Amino acid sequence: MGVIEKFGAPKPLSWLLNWSRKYSLWMFQFGLACCAIEMMAASGPRYDFMRFGIIPLPASPRQADLMIIAGTVTDKMAPAIKRLYDQMPEPKYVISMGSCSNCGGPYWDSYSVTKGVDQILPVDVYVPGCPPRPEALMDGIVMLQQQIAKEDVREKWNERDRQPV
Amino acid sequence: MTTPPEIMMHLSEAAVSVELETAEMTLNIGPQHPSTHGVLRLVAKVDGERVSEVEPVIGYMHRGYEKLTEVRTYPQITALVNRIDWVSGFANEIPFMVAAERLMGIEAPPRAQYIRLILTEMARISSHLIFASSYPLEIGAATPLMHALRERERILDLLESVTGGRFHPNFNRIGGVKPAAGAGASTKKVSQDLPAGFLDETRVAMERVVSVCDDLDGLVSGNEIFQARTKGVGVIPVEIAKSYGVSGPNMRASGVPFDVRKVDDYLPYDQFDFDVAVGENGDCWDRYQVRLEEIRQAARIISQAIDSMPSGELQAKVPRIIKVPKGQVYVRAENPKGEMGYFVVSEGGRIPYRVKIRTASFSNLTILQWILKGILIPDIIAILGSLDFVLGDVDR
Amino acid sequence: MTDSPSETPQAAEAEAPSEPTGGDVTELAAAVAAAVGGTVAQTEFGTAKVAVDRDNWAAAIASARDEAGLDFFNWLSAVDWTKDTTLGEGVAEPDTVEERFEVLCMLSTLTDGRKVTFSVDLPKDDASLGSLSSIFGGAEWHERETAEMFGIDFVGHPNLAKLYLPSEFEGHPLLKSFPLLSREVKPWPGKVDVENMPSTENPEAPSAEAAESDEGETG
Repeated sequence: MGVIEKFGAPKPLSWLLNWSRKYSLWMFQFGLACCAIEMMAASGPRYDFMRFGIIPLPASPRQADLMIIAGTVTDKMAPAIKRLYDQMPEPKYVISMGSCSNCGGPYWDSYSVTKGVDQILPVDVYVPGCPPRPEALMDGIVMLQQQIAKEDVREKWNERDRQPV
Repeated sequence: MTTPPEIMMHLSEAAVSVELETAEMTLNIGPQHPSTHGVLRLVAKVDGERVSEVEPVIGYMHRGYEKLTEVRTYPQITALVNRIDWVSGFANEIPFMVAAERLMGIEAPPRAQYIRLILTEMARISSHLIFASSYPLEIGAATPLMHALRERERILDLLESVTGGRFHPNFNRIGGVKPAAGAGASTKKVSQDLPAGFLDETRVAMERVVSVCDDLDGLVSGNEIFQARTKGVGVIPVEIAKSYGVSGPNMRASGVPFDVRKVDDYLPYDQFDFDVAVGENGDCWDRYQVRLEEIRQAARIISQAIDSMPSGELQAKVPRIIKVPKGQVYVRAENPKGEMGYFVVSEGGRIPYRVKIRTASFSNLTILQWILKGILIPDIIAILGSLDFVLGDVDR
Repeated sequence: MTDSPSETPQAAEAEAPSEPTGGDVTELAAAVAAAVGGTVAQTEFGTAKVAVDRDNWAAAIASARDEAGLDFFNWLSAVDWTKDTTLGEGVAEPDTVEERFEVLCMLSTLTDGRKVTFSVDLPKDDASLGSLSSIFGGAEWHERETAEMFGIDFVGHPNLAKLYLPSEFEGHPLLKSFPLLSREVKPWPGKVDVENMPSTENPEAPSAEAAESDEGETG
């Protein structure tokens, strides 16, 4: 679609694209550690993030556009996470949930923990907490949705090869 | 033109009489896989649908706990240690607390011990409800997930009202439980005893928990497909369990009525009347039933503990800076996943010299290579789910 | 039974180490030591420890299983005794400690609460020991973990590959000489980032948090 690359998109079209993207985020089922249990609780009957459109939960990264890294990222697991991220099709979003994936967390001095998943992936939203309550995760998802609503479709298309800092 | 019947007969017989040569394929399951309970990788050599051997690769969640305990003080280790088995957070702290208290020669006051016991049993119910929700999901039933998680939210609410955290409470202190909050230079101590109404709400919650066990029985246990997939699958003989160190509900399902709560005195379980859930054959079905029964027994223990809760202090007198005298001690507890123990080597001082963490799931997983030989691929999922391990427990 | 929680363990002997609330294990330790040919190393705190010779290790464990009835394999690991005090606090008397690896193996039973820890000392320059994987199947993974963390070689082990760490990892993490690099860069994050909490009387006074974070400093 060279049209979008050169001219951008008209406002109503880009509003429509963003609106449809933010309300149908397909979350890739990927929980690593304790935060995954809070993620499960957030999908459970009480907190229920399905009402934000995060259904279904595909097990394969090839059909997902949101990856929530919930849990500690170890050096052994990091190449696998990078490969899973690469397998997701554009446009894709990453939420880093919990302090282990934000910055290493309580294992900041361990020999086998990657100090923050943003060393290997670009992250859109950081949700702090250990573990963050399900409401905090939903706040992070809502924040991501607000970010998506303000996106410029042309910039998003052109930055599809971005790498982490 | 339709094929005449004689040629059809020939074709069908021809298909049956040809022998197919199959080659073994290596199937990589994980580390990202919806049903491996975390990041476990199984490299399976399969021949058609039958597995010839499996090599488990672990270590994707290795966070280096034993090294981290060598640079942290005892209270700091308490905050770290409840993340080992992350579904039953409170229960991981107990054996470590008791080990430090034994080395220091102090004992927690009775009220603190009862509170610890109630919260440990709630952690057990919470962990088994996660099992009861995710195991049928792996077999194919999606509804029990919602029922069990709903009741688990109730238990987590209770835990949160007492400790402030849902499953990483950091509520234990050396000598008891947390006695007061907000004790600073310019703030007053606010007593942190059990909140008002806790006992009544717990009674209600226990009734709901027992009723959800009955719901799960009704939804799942009578289902023919569930029974066909779990009965006779993944039998662990008692000799193998002993040789590999399999403990907890997995071992009790094989017929051994051993429960650390009945033999060790790390918490006052001898004051309460409860049964040890024992299975018969050691297959996946028995492991599932044993855990459901343990939920009922835990509810029974909690109801008795609430009725006989003593009053008193919440923490024994300990110095402000905890220095544990020299010594070596091993304390074990019956965690929801099995037997968890801490071997603490203390050389005097604020930081232990070496802490060996014996976790249940690591020892439970050592039988994987033995038990996953020669079975069908879908049975791998059924067996892994029924062993109920958590990768944080395995890898530490 | 209702008096046991309120009975204090200190009782009358203030100078002895705490009365083992884990029960008295002297008889158990003596019986097991006699059955396997070792010596009783410790019976305090409810923890029975029996020291065994290196050449007798596998035979001792086998006879513990067959004769003393300790047929449940609990765990196997090691302790690195060294004079080095760069990490944590080190031993209480660094001048008199004997530098060695102490391999520990705990066996217990499924009939009652008996549990015994067997220990064997290995010199650091010749850290090899017979493998127990033919006696107890569960020893395989435990020995792999100990080999990876300490560098101890288990003779006769079927597969001594790395268990937890990625294959590129160098070094043996649980040795006391293995540094934690993050701690060398920044010893304790709490100390660096603490701010004075405003209090109503004196907005400039350092708060209790600053005092407590000094306590948290280690190394």
